[in-house]
Amino acid sequence: MILEVDKLQIHYSTRDGTARAVDGASFTVPEGRIVGLVGESGCGKTTAVRAIMGVLAENGRQAGGRVVFKGQAMDEATTRKLRWRDIAYVPQSAMSSLDPVYTVGAQLVEVMTKRGNHSRASARARSVELFDLVGLNERRLADYPHQFSGGMRQRAAIAMALALEPSLLLADEPVTALDVIVQRQILDVLRSLQQRLHLSMVLVTHDISVVAYLCDEVVVMYAGQVVESGPVRDVLARPRHPYTMGLRNAFPDLLSDALELVPIAGSPPDLREPLSGCRFVPRCPFAQPICGIDAAMSGNGDHRSACRRDSEADTLRTAALDPRTWQRSSSFAMS
Amino acid sequence: MAERADPVTPARTSWPLLPVLRRIVAMPLKDPFAFTGILIYVLFALVALFADQLAPIDPMEILFTKAGKLAANVPPGAEFPLGTTNLGRDIYAQLVYGTRSALAVGLSAAIIVSTVGTIVGLVAGYFGGATDAVLMRIADMALSLPFLPFVIVLTGFLGASTSNIVLAVALLLWPNSARVIRSQVLTLRERAYVEAARVTGASAWRILFVHIAPNILPLSFVYAAIAIGWAIITEASVSFLGFGDSGSVSWGMMLQDAFASQALSRGQYAWFVPPGICIVLIVVAGFFISRGYEEVFMPRLRGR
Amino acid sequence: MRLVLGRFTHNALALLAVTTILFFMFRLMPGTPLAAFINENLNADQQQAMLEQFGLDKPMWQQYFIYLANLLQGEMGLSFFQRRPVMTILLEVLPNSVILTLTSLIIAYIFGVVAGAWLAWKRGTWIERAAVPAVLATRAAPEFWIGMVLLAALSFNAGWFPSGGASSPGMAYSSNWDRIFSLDYVHHLALPVLTLALYLQGLPLLLMRSNMLEVMHEEFVTMARMKGLSEWRIVIGHAARNALLPVVTAFALGVGLSMGGNVVIETVFSWPGIGRLLVQAVSVHDYPLAQGAFLMIALVLALMNFVADLLYMVLDPRVSHGRKG
Repeated sequence: MILEVDKLQIHYSTRDGTARAVDGASFTVPEGRIVGLVGESGCGKTTAVRAIMGVLAENGRQAGGRVVFKGQAMDEATTRKLRWRDIAYVPQSAMSSLDPVYTVGAQLVEVMTKRGNHSRASARARSVELFDLVGLNERRLADYPHQFSGGMRQRAAIAMALALEPSLLLADEPVTALDVIVQRQILDVLRSLQQRLHLSMVLVTHDISVVAYLCDEVVVMYAGQVVESGPVRDVLARPRHPYTMGLRNAFPDLLSDALELVPIAGSPPDLREPLSGCRFVPRCPFAQPICGIDAAMSGNGDHRSACRRDSEADTLRTAALDPRTWQRSSSFAMS
Repeated sequence: MAERADPVTPARTSWPLLPVLRRIVAMPLKDPFAFTGILIYVLFALVALFADQLAPIDPMEILFTKAGKLAANVPPGAEFPLGTTNLGRDIYAQLVYGTRSALAVGLSAAIIVSTVGTIVGLVAGYFGGATDAVLMRIADMALSLPFLPFVIVLTGFLGASTSNIVLAVALLLWPNSARVIRSQVLTLRERAYVEAARVTGASAWRILFVHIAPNILPLSFVYAAIAIGWAIITEASVSFLGFGDSGSVSWGMMLQDAFASQALSRGQYAWFVPPGICIVLIVVAGFFISRGYEEVFMPRLRGR
Repeated sequence: MRLVLGRFTHNALALLAVTTILFFMFRLMPGTPLAAFINENLNADQQQAMLEQFGLDKPMWQQYFIYLANLLQGEMGLSFFQRRPVMTILLEVLPNSVILTLTSLIIAYIFGVVAGAWLAWKRGTWIERAAVPAVLATRAAPEFWIGMVLLAALSFNAGWFPSGGASSPGMAYSSNWDRIFSLDYVHHLALPVLTLALYLQGLPLLLMRSNMLEVMHEEFVTMARMKGLSEWRIVIGHAARNALLPVVTAFALGVGLSMGGNVVIETVFSWPGIGRLLVQAVSVHDYPLAQGAFLMIALVLALMNFVADLLYMVLDPRVSHGRKG
């Protein structure tokens, strides 16, 4: 395992109380694999990834748990040292993540000379290589960020991330802001890079189709916790947690037999409230009193789920395929 | 924020003003600086109102000592709290009565600037097109005139009177508020409830004054608060240069008097320091108040 | 390029509008229409020359164009009281105003930028909460009053600085350059510059501070942190560089605005500049000189507005380099 996240807790102090953005999340990233981190907005996936980079907002802090990278526990000092050199980040919107007053080439050279061992000359040469890797014309190195189109900007962002030859890439919704065709291109770039360079990747997204297309493993998050994880084929074809079942229904053409788009009613809980038990209960059609107690991950082998009714997963799954299941929540959940 | 103030039922526009007024009253209670600013305004307003009681001496009256000599340049003491000028006038009385002139100039200029600026901003922003272009060109012209020189030339040739000063200030200051209000109107124009009003057949003027104006009014006040200070400083500057209204007592005139009578070389700080401090207080009060309301009505999106 | 031409036209038209306003303003002043250029002070020959030069016997609209044509050649008539060409007089005093303005602004802006950035860094501390209102207070004080207080304290009282003028009586210089760089001149320049700088620093300070606060929350600053760049590099190389753009533009605009505003400072310190000239001309109703001084100030204003536009276009790559896609 190149990365192990163990019971991570990230808290934000807000005017209205402490928001537990990540509340005891655990997952692992095997070396050389692409792990998708999926969930709806606010589930804590971006926060988790930023916490791994050690860059949280002013009011955020790691309140518990730990992150282990290449067998070494990450504290502030180690994080700072490894930043970009071994763990790099690909942002969602490359437009706002690049300084508008410097050329892209200059920013590449900057990170290589200041954080790497490059001289200006070798940095410049490597910049050409990097652009080549991601499929950009080297003449664009002299251009400013705003002169790039969306897709090209993402490629440049990927090039930037690879500058110091990291082993782990954290990509935060790298294709969300792009149109579908360009999305495919960028995902292909990511895949080919991952294969050529033996990268390990964590791909954060809310779009299951991206996960299905690119990832080897998937980790599903809800309300700051991990609810299901395992190999992509397994989890998407045979989900074991009601939330994943519901998610899958939102993308009916993928690996499932559901025929229509069925949204999950309701919305995620307010993370400022103290919560106990399974967070999905209010929206879960299969909730039962036993779900009020926290569930640990259980399951066989790699495919694990945090659902208390995991043993009945197959039955629940069949029921989940029926849209009517989602239109009336369980009697327990209603009370 | 603004949407909640006006539900999508334009026929029933009972009091869109109320939530706005509530916010106007609530803000100073949270912002100590704005509160201080309002306090200062109130204080000066009271001084202006009760000037006769606070300083029973005529500020222009030439005073004599008991011995019959001119009470010139008397240092501050029991009889004259701030001393006297070189012509024997009570400085303290001048300071107190100067408040009236300052507030008169400040308020009248602010009202004119605010009104003209708001109307122009509303019309230009809402109707757009040629109207907008013409109005903005005129605004540009006003802005390309050097401020103080213009006021000087105008008062120098038309005559030194308070109304001329106020006129000159108003003529040059309205574009600033007009521009900001115009851009606010531009954003409001596209809001849902305005669309709804238009769809249900409300006339342009009705939309303008019933729906858009209440949301603009706070901005007008913000600019009015700033304009008061600006007008007072301008009046002081113009008076200092000798183009002020010689008939009335004003802080600017006091400063000019002090300067011309060599008060500086005599070290008569009690003469020329207090008027300046008064100006600073009023202008800074305007800054604090406008800063407080700016936060409420035009919140800056800071980071996340 | 098109942008440049556009801004140039815009500012040129504004200047034209000002000139036109001035033309009509002076014609409508009390006295005969001729009073704008002719006065009993001038002798008969001079009066005749002015009549011809400005076509004062011709219809108004013709006079207007003659007026404009003359202006373009720098011909503004004769001063009633000095009986010399207005342009000559203006050019004599212009350098003093320019030096006063530029020196004060440069000092004010350097201080303001550094202090503003520092205050932004100190966000949330009591220092910041106390400093911002204090700076606002400096902007609330009339500049001439600050000048008066400093004059009284540092010149009359302490005797550190001369009390007015640009040079001590009896000094003679071989050339203008010598005069400007002489110690005596600098000594006289010190107090006016100190006063102006004190008054002017508020704007760049508050502007830089608010820009820095905004920029520090931009995504690219967070990214720079993720890359592990040093705090110094992030704050100076990235944040400040972005925050400075509007400040540079403000500087250019400030030069234009200051020239007009310096009127009062020049009066307090008897500094022989354009502003003081304007005041004197207006008080004695020396119309040609007043017109000329006003126009010169307006010209500098329009020019600096244009420079500000240019600077903004050049310094912001988003404007200077178009999209390529």
